[in-house]
Amino acid sequence: MAMPNEAYRAASDPAIEAAVSLHGVKLASERFSLGPIDCDVPIGYVTAIVGTNGSGKSSLMRMLLGLEPIRSGEASVLGTRIVPGGDEGYKTRVGFLAELPHAHENAMTADEKAKFASQWYPSWDWERYRRLMRQFECDGGAKLNKLSKGMRRKVELSVTLAHDPELLLLDEPSSGLDPFAWRMMLDELQRYMDSGERTLVIATHITEEVRRLADYILFLDRGRYLGLYERDRLLDGWRTLLVQHVGGGSGSESALRRTPGLQGLTEAGAGVYRLEVDEPEQGEAYVRSAGFQVLASQRMELEDILSCLIRKEEAKR
Amino acid sequence: MWLPIRIDEQRPEPLYHQIEVQLRGLILGGQLAEGTLLPSIRELAGTLKCSAITVRRVYQDLENERLIRTRQGMGTFVAGVEASARDEHRLERASEALAQAVDTGLQLQCTLEELERIFGDLIRSRREEGRPNGNA
Repeated sequence: MAMPNEAYRAASDPAIEAAVSLHGVKLASERFSLGPIDCDVPIGYVTAIVGTNGSGKSSLMRMLLGLEPIRSGEASVLGTRIVPGGDEGYKTRVGFLAELPHAHENAMTADEKAKFASQWYPSWDWERYRRLMRQFECDGGAKLNKLSKGMRRKVELSVTLAHDPELLLLDEPSSGLDPFAWRMMLDELQRYMDSGERTLVIATHITEEVRRLADYILFLDRGRYLGLYERDRLLDGWRTLLVQHVGGGSGSESALRRTPGLQGLTEAGAGVYRLEVDEPEQGEAYVRSAGFQVLASQRMELEDILSCLIRKEEAKR
Repeated sequence: MWLPIRIDEQRPEPLYHQIEVQLRGLILGGQLAEGTLLPSIRELAGTLKCSAITVRRVYQDLENERLIRTRQGMGTFVAGVEASARDEHRLERASEALAQAVDTGLQLQCTLEELERIFGDLIRSRREEGRPNGNA
């Protein structure tokens, strides 16, 4: 049988230029290990890192900035290989928003943080910084630890975006934002991507962000890499089928197990089965030929696809 | 600009196909005039909640069909459509709709004569109601 999932993966296309390139990358500390990860994050697109809490999203982001030691494999960002003591010049072309604010910046004002950042990034644009601050209704003169969580997030977003980085790494950017600020952030990120030359990697657990922004999805689960997928192909390709054996008998469950592209199978009632498939057309045709009637065929939510991928990975072990 | 395109998540057709069919229809149907500036790829992806890859695929297909044209740094525009292509599209759409009606009729065991009679009756009653194009 073919490997249907492989077709959805972005990583295999050598024609796509990569902003981030990972080959067999493993991270390991005493408490946590991540990888191996093999993928190329394409330039010009939004890649969402999706996974449960503690799946390794933040570690992966920090690794791209050389903040987590790489145990094995090769990682490069914007063409620069990440090695201890290596060239760090690429970081001026990266914008990074960490998951949590830095405590050492507590006593700084937004403008002071911006001044500091402006010396570090050659492409810093004060005009852009002020426009973003105005748009987010932030006060540049207030001390960061006097701001609400959401207000501080908006300041940090403004600073992160002000040098129009080639690669933007955002770790849970919307935490603390109210719905209006959240919309504004999405619009701003869309504008940032508009030239087609920028790359955004966003770690998020908010499905709506994935739905509105992501072109690719990188799935992680408890330190395991489950693949990089083109989002719309994933949504187009996965289906839940509800089937019943014609004639009311229980039919043969073992026949259903041979359904092409089968990813999950549960009995939903007497003689009624729920199938998850990633080759919907062939799958439906097969179950019909096996004497089942298709009661319903529905697209799947991302969360459900993710749990299928997790189950499949677990079954491999 | 806003385009009257809707994605139906319950439909089995892939997202790019749904968008492509509707956008092609808007151009060939004349709702989008020659020279109209289309939204950028990222903008349309945002409105339709689909990925930029999907919109790029649609724009590429329609560009290959010479229905739209991208000018470097200026954007993507609706190209001129020949009257013959428009006519062909018009007849194709009508034929698709009629095919569905015919299928229903055949499922209900209607004969050709019955279907033709219904068809004629419908056209006549529409004319009497003074529907636009009914008396053409």
